[in-house]
Amino acid sequence: MSAGLWLCIRLPQLAHEALAAAAHRAAGAEACATGRGVDPAAIEHAAMERLAAWAYQWSSLVSYRLSDGPLLWLELAGSRSLFGGHAALLARLEAGLTQLGYSHACALAPSPTGAALLTQAEQQRCVTTRAQLRSRLEMLPLALLALPQDVLAALHAAGLRRIGQLLALPAAAIARRFGPAASLYLQRLCGTASDPRPAWRMPATYRACFEFDGAVHDTTALLFPLRRLLLEFQGYLRGRDCAVLRFTLEFEHYRQAASGVTVGMSAPARDAAQFLLLARERLQNLVLPAPVQALRLQALEFTAASVLQADFFGSDAQQLQQLQLLLDRLQARLGEGQVQGLALKADHRPERAWGFVTPQQSTAQPDTQAAARPCTLLLQPRRIEPPALLLSGPERIESGWWDGADVNRDYYVARAADGARLWVFRDPAEGAWYLQGLWS
Amino acid sequence: MSIPLPIGSQRTQMLEQLARLCRTGDSSRAQRLAAPSGFPELDANLPGGGWPIGAIAELMSDATGIGELSLLVPVLTRLARAGRYIACIAPPYLPYAPALAQRGLPLERLLLIQTRSLQESLWATEQALRCPAVGAVLGWPAYIVDRNVRRLQLAAETGGSLGILYRPPEAARESSPAALRLRLHAAPDGLAVEIQKSRGGAAGITLRVAVASMAVASMVVAPTGVAPTVAA
Repeated sequence: MSAGLWLCIRLPQLAHEALAAAAHRAAGAEACATGRGVDPAAIEHAAMERLAAWAYQWSSLVSYRLSDGPLLWLELAGSRSLFGGHAALLARLEAGLTQLGYSHACALAPSPTGAALLTQAEQQRCVTTRAQLRSRLEMLPLALLALPQDVLAALHAAGLRRIGQLLALPAAAIARRFGPAASLYLQRLCGTASDPRPAWRMPATYRACFEFDGAVHDTTALLFPLRRLLLEFQGYLRGRDCAVLRFTLEFEHYRQAASGVTVGMSAPARDAAQFLLLARERLQNLVLPAPVQALRLQALEFTAASVLQADFFGSDAQQLQQLQLLLDRLQARLGEGQVQGLALKADHRPERAWGFVTPQQSTAQPDTQAAARPCTLLLQPRRIEPPALLLSGPERIESGWWDGADVNRDYYVARAADGARLWVFRDPAEGAWYLQGLWS
Repeated sequence: MSIPLPIGSQRTQMLEQLARLCRTGDSSRAQRLAAPSGFPELDANLPGGGWPIGAIAELMSDATGIGELSLLVPVLTRLARAGRYIACIAPPYLPYAPALAQRGLPLERLLLIQTRSLQESLWATEQALRCPAVGAVLGWPAYIVDRNVRRLQLAAETGGSLGILYRPPEAARESSPAALRLRLHAAPDGLAVEIQKSRGGAAGITLRVAVASMAVASMVVAPTGVAPTVAA
C-alpha cells in the first residue's frame, strides 16, 4: 500500500498568535470597552482556514484538525520534484510560517498520523519510508501516542515505556486488550492501514477576517495584521494559480455600518509586498469613521495567472510592470483620475485639439502640416489688452459651426514686456484680444 | 596616546571635507551619464555632453513663456522614444499635446500627475524618479529646501532618471545640492542659458540656445483697426 508522504505542522499557539497582532497595536487600541468578547475557538478556526488556503500553494491536498494540536497536513508526494526536494520545501514553509508569526513544529512521514506524532519529537522529525518511520517511532516514549488517557495508563502499568515495546506486541492482542480503535491507530501510525484525510476545499471567493480584542483607532495599527492577511492571501492566490485586479478591505465598527476601501491594480497581481504598499497608501489618507473591531479582506474576482506580467521575462514587460506599480501607488495615494495622459483630437479649435486620457493610451498621429503650436495652453483663453508687439501671424482658424461652439479667430505670436512669447488671438467680429498659450 | 578623536565642529569639518573629497572623486569620473540636450551649443558646455542622468537639474526662468519647456522637449522626446516615460508633476500650465506631438514626442509616454499640496507633489516626484520605467520627471515645486532636493537627487540616482525642477528666479540667490543649475533669460532669438552651477563642469557661462519654439513667419499682417507694433 502506497501511503504518500505527509508534512504535518503543529501550531501549538495558533489561537494565541492569531490574536498576537492585537497586542502589537497597543498604541492604537484600548481595552475591550465595548463588551464584545472575542471567541478564541472562532479565531482559531478562522486562522486555520487562512493557513490552509496559504498552504495550498504547495500541495493540492491540504487537511487540518483543530483538536489536539491544532494540526495542518500537506500531502507532498506529487509536488516533491517541483520544489527541489523536501528539505528546500520545508525550509520555505518554515520561513513562511515564521514570517506569518506562527510558532510551529513540522514533521515529515509516510503517514499523516505518523507525521503528527513526529511533530512532538525532540529531533529527527523527517522520515520518508515506512521502515524509517517504524524505527524512529520505536525510540519515542509512549506518552506521545494519541491514545485515550486510560489506555496510556494501562500500558504504563504493564511496564511499557517506549512505543517500540508496544509495536512489538501482536496486533490482535492489542485489539483484544485495548479495543479496535487503538489497534487501527497504531497501524495508521506506522502507515500500514489506510489513513484518509478530509481534503480542505478552496473557497471560490476569498474572505479573511482579523478580529481585534479591543478597538483600533489608528490606521497604522491596522498594518501589522494586514501584512499577515496579505501574506496568506498571496499564498491562496499562488495555490489557485490566479491573480487579482482588486481586493476590498472592510472595517467593522461597533454598532455602526462597516466602512471599507477597495485597493485596485492596473494589472493582475498576487504579490503581498505590492498589495501592502498599495493598501498603505490608501490607508494613509483614510479617516476611520469609528474605531475598528475587525478587519476583513475580500476578493471576489480572479484572473488567470497567465496574464501576470511577472511571468514574462524581458525588459519591456519588466518596465511595464514597474510603471504599473508606480501608477498604482500614485493613484492609491493621490486618488483615481489624478494621473492622466494626453491625446490628440481631430479638431481645429486649439482648446479642443487635445484631451485627457488614461495613461499609456496611444494617440492619433499629429498633423505635421499644421502651423507650429506653443508648448503650454491656458485652459480658458484670457482676455488681454491688445499686445504691443506682434512677432508673427495671422493664422486664421475658423471652425466648429456645426456644434454651436464655432470660432473665428486670427492667431498671432506676440511678445510681452518680460520677453515671454504669447500665443494670442483676436476675434475679428468682437475686436477683443485673448491669450491662449505660451511659447514656453 | 593615540590620535585624538575629532569632536564637535572639528568632526563636522572633517565630515564635510570627506564629503567634498567623495564628490570630487565622483565628478572626476570621465564617464558621467548624460543625455544629449539636442542643442550642440549647450551640450558642449555640460559635463558628459548633455543633461545629467540620475541627478537633479534646476531651471530658474525669469518668466514663463521664454522657451523654458522647449529647452527640454528634445531630451524628453529622445527618452520617450527610447521607451521611457515622462512624468509632469502638477505643472502650472497645461502642456499642450499638439505642440509636443508636432515635435515628435510620443504622447503615450507622457504622464500628467495632479496633486493637492506641495507635500503630495514632492512625494509624487520622488516616486516617479525612483521608478526605472520613468526617464524624466518635471516638477514645479512652489517652495523647496536643500533637504528635499537631496532626497530627490537620491531618488533620481536610484531610478537613473533626469529630474527637472522649475524654480522661481529668486532661488538663484540660494545654494542648492542639485547637480546642475541653470538660469534662463529671454533672448530675442531664442533663450539665454546661464550655467550657475554644474557638478563636474564649468559654471558662470552664458550661452544662446535656439529653442525651436515657433515657426518664424515671413511677414506679419497686423489686423485692421488696431495698430500694434510689428517686429522688424
